[in-house]
Amino acid sequence: MPNTSPQIILQAIAAQNPKHAAQLQQSLHHLGALYQQQATAFFSKYESYLLKAGLTIDFGVNQYLEMVDHMREERMEFIRSGKYSNSSFEEVNKQVYSNPQIMNMHMHGLVLAQFMWFDQYQRFLFFSENLLRYGSAAVNYLEVGGGHGLYINEAIKQLQQLDAFDLVDISQSSIELATGILSSNKVNYYHQDIFDMDDSSSQYDFITIGEVIEHLESPADMLKKISRLLSFNGVCYLTTPVNAPMIDHIYLFNNVQEIRALINDCGLTILEEKVAIADNKSAEYANKYRTPVMYAAFLSKTHA
Amino acid sequence: MASQEILERLNTIFKQIFDNELIEINETTQADDLEDWDSLNHLQIVVAIEKHYGIRFTAAQVDKWTRVGDIITDIQQKLEQKQTA
Repeated sequence: MPNTSPQIILQAIAAQNPKHAAQLQQSLHHLGALYQQQATAFFSKYESYLLKAGLTIDFGVNQYLEMVDHMREERMEFIRSGKYSNSSFEEVNKQVYSNPQIMNMHMHGLVLAQFMWFDQYQRFLFFSENLLRYGSAAVNYLEVGGGHGLYINEAIKQLQQLDAFDLVDISQSSIELATGILSSNKVNYYHQDIFDMDDSSSQYDFITIGEVIEHLESPADMLKKISRLLSFNGVCYLTTPVNAPMIDHIYLFNNVQEIRALINDCGLTILEEKVAIADNKSAEYANKYRTPVMYAAFLSKTHA
Repeated sequence: MASQEILERLNTIFKQIFDNELIEINETTQADDLEDWDSLNHLQIVVAIEKHYGIRFTAAQVDKWTRVGDIITDIQQKLEQKQTA
């Protein structure tokens, strides 16, 4: 197994984009041993997967930098217009999901972003620090839109009472990426739309749905579905961003209050939440300049 | 348009974006010279320039800027293109 530290990734990024690498270094340099350990463990799994596919970590870095270029264009457009450039699934499906090259770039780019972006790491840390407390009694686990597999990987590590973990994803290429990186026989992969899951007969004690609802025209429909899939005392871990233009983000949350209101409107209660602002900016700055903000929360069903 | 005129406008923009009336930039000013000139603020500055002059840049173009002089040069080029279009 390779030993791929975040420093190795930073050096590879610096070789092509020293300015961007310096910005990343500034926001990450104060993170300690736990970050190093967690980042190295996941990046090593990723590099192992790439090597088996006849690729190197430079492939991942190239995809990441291309994703960053796209993101900066989206960010400029967002500052100009105050809106995401796409507002329908149809637009995003045409431009992104039906385009294998763009999908590949985006998926692989996001793998590195999990530990290269300060706010992304904060949401993972929040999950990993609290998962055992909320999930130790769970008899089953569902992840919706598992993407690169980072979160289900952590769940497998911590929730040792479980022999099986379910991952549902509408994207076959995402499932292939997660399968390759995780290399775990504990994961049941379901290539299907979560709305096709029967919530009258299957309910889960723990559901993770990270960075999904901003890709949907109706996040409310998804959260109501999640509420139905959640067992009586079940817990859901949800993350979604505010003011975060990306090539496939459709639904714009303008502030954290909008997310909280939606959660409550969909029959869910916030147990604990975390907010992290991009580049560690102040809340006042984020509000004035509509800086990306990461929101994460552990939720339960709202009982009367 | 003369460089000095553009520089004065950029000073106004920088003061507004950084919310700091004490900022004074010149053609040799670089991002490292101003504490708040980071990647997020950079794009705010770019869009403020675009809105004022009625021009448009790509992210790739603005990423090449290393000092204020580069910004002035590109603004002048864009304005010339706009005039001849």
